[in-house]
Amino acid sequence: MKRPVYIREASAIGPQPVFDTDRLEQVAAYTTHPLNAVVPELRRYVDPVRGRRMEKVARIGLGTALNALDRAGGAAPEAIIVGTGLGCMESTERFFVPLLHNNEDVPNPTAFIQSTHNNVAGQIALATRCTGYNYTYLHRGISFTSALLDGWMQVGLEGRATVLVGGAESITPDYYLVQRRSGIWKQHDVPNLEVLRATDGGALCGEGAAFFVLGDTPGPGTAVRVVDVDISYRGGAETLRDRVQAFLQRNGLSTDRIDLLMTGRNGDGPQDGAYAPMEADLPQATHAAYKHLCGEFFTANAFGLWLLWSGLRTGHLPAEAVLRSGSAAPRWGLLVDHFQRTDHSLVLLERIGP
Amino acid sequence: MSDRVVITGLGVISALGTNVEGNLDALLHERSGIGPITVLPTRHRGSIPVAEVHLDDDALAALAAPRAVRSWTRTALLGLRAVKEALAHAGIDPAAQRTAFISATTAGGIDKTEPIYDQYFLPEIPDEAAQYLGTHDPGDHAQRIAAELGFRDLVTTISTACSSSANALMLGDRLLRHGLTDVAVVGGTDALCKFTVNGFNSLLILDREPCRPFDRDRAGLNLGEAAAYLVLETEARARARGADVLAVVSGYANTNEAFHATASSPDGTGAYEAMRQALAMARLAPEAISYVNVHGTGTPNNDASEGIALNRLFHGAVPPFSSTKSFTGHTLGAAGAVEAVYAVLAIRHGVHFANLRWRTPLNEAPLVPVTRTRRDVAVRHVLSSSFGFGGNNTSLVLSAPEARP
Repeated sequence: MKRPVYIREASAIGPQPVFDTDRLEQVAAYTTHPLNAVVPELRRYVDPVRGRRMEKVARIGLGTALNALDRAGGAAPEAIIVGTGLGCMESTERFFVPLLHNNEDVPNPTAFIQSTHNNVAGQIALATRCTGYNYTYLHRGISFTSALLDGWMQVGLEGRATVLVGGAESITPDYYLVQRRSGIWKQHDVPNLEVLRATDGGALCGEGAAFFVLGDTPGPGTAVRVVDVDISYRGGAETLRDRVQAFLQRNGLSTDRIDLLMTGRNGDGPQDGAYAPMEADLPQATHAAYKHLCGEFFTANAFGLWLLWSGLRTGHLPAEAVLRSGSAAPRWGLLVDHFQRTDHSLVLLERIGP
Repeated sequence: MSDRVVITGLGVISALGTNVEGNLDALLHERSGIGPITVLPTRHRGSIPVAEVHLDDDALAALAAPRAVRSWTRTALLGLRAVKEALAHAGIDPAAQRTAFISATTAGGIDKTEPIYDQYFLPEIPDEAAQYLGTHDPGDHAQRIAAELGFRDLVTTISTACSSSANALMLGDRLLRHGLTDVAVVGGTDALCKFTVNGFNSLLILDREPCRPFDRDRAGLNLGEAAAYLVLETEARARARGADVLAVVSGYANTNEAFHATASSPDGTGAYEAMRQALAMARLAPEAISYVNVHGTGTPNNDASEGIALNRLFHGAVPPFSSTKSFTGHTLGAAGAVEAVYAVLAIRHGVHFANLRWRTPLNEAPLVPVTRTRRDVAVRHVLSSSFGFGGNNTSLVLSAPEARP
C-alpha cells in the first residue's frame, strides 16, 4: 500500500546562509575554493563542551538533524538514516597519520571510535533517544539519495510515521589535496558565481549538511511530498535522458509537467554536458542549479534537494540559482544529479495545495 | 503480503577458504582460520593472532581476476571474488534484469591508503601510488565491482560497523518486496589493515590467543578478513527460471541502543530487541528456532549482554547456538553476510557449527554452546545476529524453504 511521503521540515548548513530557514535570500559569493560550510551558533543543539570534541561533519550533521526535528514541532523520529561519502575523515586522519608515522604507536582510541562511519547517525540517535532503525550509507555521490530512498520506503511503503534522513560531509585539507590530485577539483580559483560558465574540467569543492523530516502527514506550512526516488550507476548523457523519461513515465507525468528542474551542474564543463539532452526535453521548466552555491561534494545533492524543496514551498529561488526562468508557482519539481557521471540521482517532488 | 524473498546464490572468501566449498569443509572439520599474521605488514606480527586470507595482494588479484588489476584495493578484490562466486552459483547476469548491488564495508580502501599515503603529497606522485588516489572511500569497492560485472541500477554501500552487511541483506529484501528491483546482490567485504588492527588494539579488546566466545575466561576478539555475498530474488522469479531455492528470508530487524558510542548496554536490551523484532516479523515463536549463529565476538562486554538477551528471549531454553567467529575471527563489515552464508549452509547441510575453544559457562548467563560440529540435524529456522559498535544491532531469520510452505 503506497502512502504519500511528505517533507515535514528541513534544515541545512553549508557555504550559504540557510540555517533554520526555508529560503535562501542573500547568496554568498566566494572567490577561492574549497567553499567551507559556515557553522552557525549551535548551542541549542550541540553541547559546547562536547561540540568542541566533535569533528565538523558531526557537528553540522547533528545540528541540522536536530534543527529539522525542532522545526517540525519537536518530532521524534522512528528511524535515522544518514548519507555521507567519507564519514568522519577528520578523526580517521587523526588516528591514521600518527599510526603511519610513529610505527603504529597510537595514543588512545578516541579518534578511532570517532572515525566510525556511522558516528553521525549514532550521535543523532543518542541525542533523540531513538532506538529504532539506524543506517548510514557511504557511497560517493548517491550517499544521501540512498538514505532518502530508504526513508521514502519506510514512510511510503512500510508504514512508519516519522523518519529523519540527511546527508553530511566535511572536507579535510589533506583529503581535499588527495581529491584535487585525482583530478576532480579545478586546479585554479574561479569565483563560485561564475563557475557554471566554465568549459574546463573539475569542480569547486564544498561541504555541508542537510536533513529532512519525512512523514506520512504534511507539516505546518505549504506541503511538499517526495513522489519518487531513483538511483542508477553509469550510463552516458543519452542514458540519463532515457532514465529521466522512464522515471517521469512511471509516475504518470509527461516532461512538460515539470515546472522546476534542479540539476547538479557544477562547472566541470565536460561533465555538465551530460545534462544537456535531458534539459532539452524540459524547455518550459525553470532551470536551476545549486552546486555553484554549495560546491561539489559527495552529499551536495542533499543541499540540492533542500533548495528544490525551498523553491516549491516558498515560490522563491535566489536569482543566482536560476539559469533560465520558466513556469511560475511551480508544482512539480525534479532533481537530476550526477557525480562524476557514475552516480545518478533523480528525485521528484510535488507541492500540494496553494 | 508480496511474494517472499529467497536466496539463490552464495559466495564467500575468508580465512577458511576462497569459496563456499572451502568454508564449509573447514566448518565441518573444525578447522579454525585464526593464526599468526603472515600477509599484513604490521609490527604486531607475532603478537596478535588474526584470521587472514592467506594470499598476498598479487595472488588475490590473480584469483579474483579483474580485467585490469590497476587501482584494486584488497577490500575490492575480496569482494569481487565473492560476488563472482555468488552470481555464478545463482546463474545471474547482473545486466539481464534490474539488479541492485548492496554492499557493505567498514575499512573500505584504507588498506591501500596506508602504504602510500605520504606519497600523495609528494611534488610528483609515483604511478604506483597515483592509481589509488580515488580508492580510499567506502564506496570505491562497490563501484569498482559494479563496473567490472555490469551492474547498472542501484549500487550502494552501507557502513554501520559490525552490522553493515546484515543491514545490506535487509535492504535487498525490502527493495524486492516493494518491487523496486528484480534481483539484489547483498553482502560485504573488509580486508585487514593497520587501521583496524591498531584501532581495536587501542580499545584493549583483542585476545592475544585465539578467541573463546561465550567462555567465562574470554579475553577479547580476533580480527579477520572476508567477503561474502548472497543473491536474493522473489520466489516467483526464482521458481520461474528454475533456480535452486537455498533458503527463505523470513524476518529481520535493525535497532539502535542509543546507549554509548562503543559499548553495548550491559543488560542486552538492544540485542534482545533486534532478535525479538526479527522473530516477530518472521511470525515465529522462539521455540521454532533450530540454531542461533550468535554475534559472539569473544569480548567480555558483548558476550555477557548477548547471553543475557538470549536467556531473556528464549526464557532460559536457548536453542543450539555457536559463534563461528571462533573460526573466522570478527570480519567486521563482512561478518553479517559471512554468517548469513553459514546460516544457509547450516540449513542446506543440516549442521550446527562448533563454537571452538569453549570450556566454562559465562557468569552472567550460564549457557552451553555447541562445542563440536553436529551433522545430520534438522535445521529449519536460523537466527543470525550482528551487533555493532555503538549499539547498531541487526538480527536475521533465515529459513529452509520447506519450513515455510
